[in-house]
Amino acid sequence: MIVLIEDNEQNARLAVKLMQHAGHEVLLAGDGEEGLGLVEDVQPDLILVDLGLPDMDGQTVVALLRQQPALEQVPIIAFTAWPQETAFQMALAYGCDGVITKPINTRVFADQIESYLEKTGTV
Amino acid sequence: MSMQPLPSGFELERYDNQIIIPCRHYSFTELAAIYNETRIDYIVPMPMNARRMEEYVRFYDIDLDASPVSLNAAEEPTGIGMIGLRADRAWITRLGVIPHRRGRKTGQLLMSKMLEQARNHRCRLVQLEVIKGNEPAHRLFTKLGFTETRELLIIRRPPAPLTPVPTLDAALVIPLTPDQIITNLVLYPPGASWVEEARSVLQAGNLQGFNVTLADGTQGWIIFQCTRVQIAHVIFGPLALLTEDLVHALLYHMHQQFPQHDTKVENIPLYDLTWRAYQRLGYVESFRRMEMFLHF
Repeated sequence: MIVLIEDNEQNARLAVKLMQHAGHEVLLAGDGEEGLGLVEDVQPDLILVDLGLPDMDGQTVVALLRQQPALEQVPIIAFTAWPQETAFQMALAYGCDGVITKPINTRVFADQIESYLEKTGTV
Repeated sequence: MSMQPLPSGFELERYDNQIIIPCRHYSFTELAAIYNETRIDYIVPMPMNARRMEEYVRFYDIDLDASPVSLNAAEEPTGIGMIGLRADRAWITRLGVIPHRRGRKTGQLLMSKMLEQARNHRCRLVQLEVIKGNEPAHRLFTKLGFTETRELLIIRRPPAPLTPVPTLDAALVIPLTPDQIITNLVLYPPGASWVEEARSVLQAGNLQGFNVTLADGTQGWIIFQCTRVQIAHVIFGPLALLTEDLVHALLYHMHQQFPQHDTKVENIPLYDLTWRAYQRLGYVESFRRMEMFLHF
């Protein structure tokens, strides 16, 4: 189960489609509050968080997720259009396990997801 | 994006194939939707929902009657700009044009409408910030006569435990009362960027603060906005007595009291002494803005 927290409908649609095509179940949240609520109800294998969300900053969402003991082992991946260097620095500081940059590269996106899941032994 | 039909009570200004209408015509939900669409391909997108848009307007004195939305001939939104007004100063913000509707000099039209509004309000200074690296916007502002004043940093610190510092732990920390917070901010000297001016911070609310007296007698205060999940709008004083060590001590006590809070600090001047103190506590740079002024 993958939780995607992303407000941009176009990006969300594409990301969900690619992940479902790779055999994953995906739950989508359109903002930070919804995302935080969603992970309380399910135990995700991976969480993808857009760093630019309309209700609160993506970094704040990551910080709040990282404070939940139940999610300690769950990989959190920053999903962002920020310049790569900034995105990596920010993701690292906030305890993300990796970064996937936008626009989505449809050729490698599913493999990127798979590699983060493999690292934590969830596939 | 479904929008309200254009109203009869508003004055529509037509320019070739473009129409200008005040932001006042739209709900905060619609303004947020237009703004978000202009920023889809932006370096740092920073989308907003209706609540954030309403707060932004309120905290930063955005005049919705003076702020324009541009429309195409089919009366679809093409761009937006917002202008804040304080005494004889104006602040231009949230300027953007929807990507697939660019290339028609819409940004220039929105800017000229806002500069006209600034003149109508007898402003002597128009200020703005542009994200470093946004060359098209920087070129437009330079062409209109704006000049760079200083580089500003947007920095963040994730929640993290502090390494105890016994000398700082020995300091006397006394919370500021709401009246003391207001007094300190009202008397605070000018010089901060628009969103960090004392007026902005006061209007943002949810403020807390305390005085710290160090073992050597050095004293200072810190005021900050503290919401459920985030600390922002951090101000130190008294300005004339600030040193890097004092700012470090003030920040240390703020984070000691709120170890679970994410912190975001906007528009620290690049060469400000506070930046070194922030770095000592684990803050990292998020991105940079360039502040620009235009004097009338």
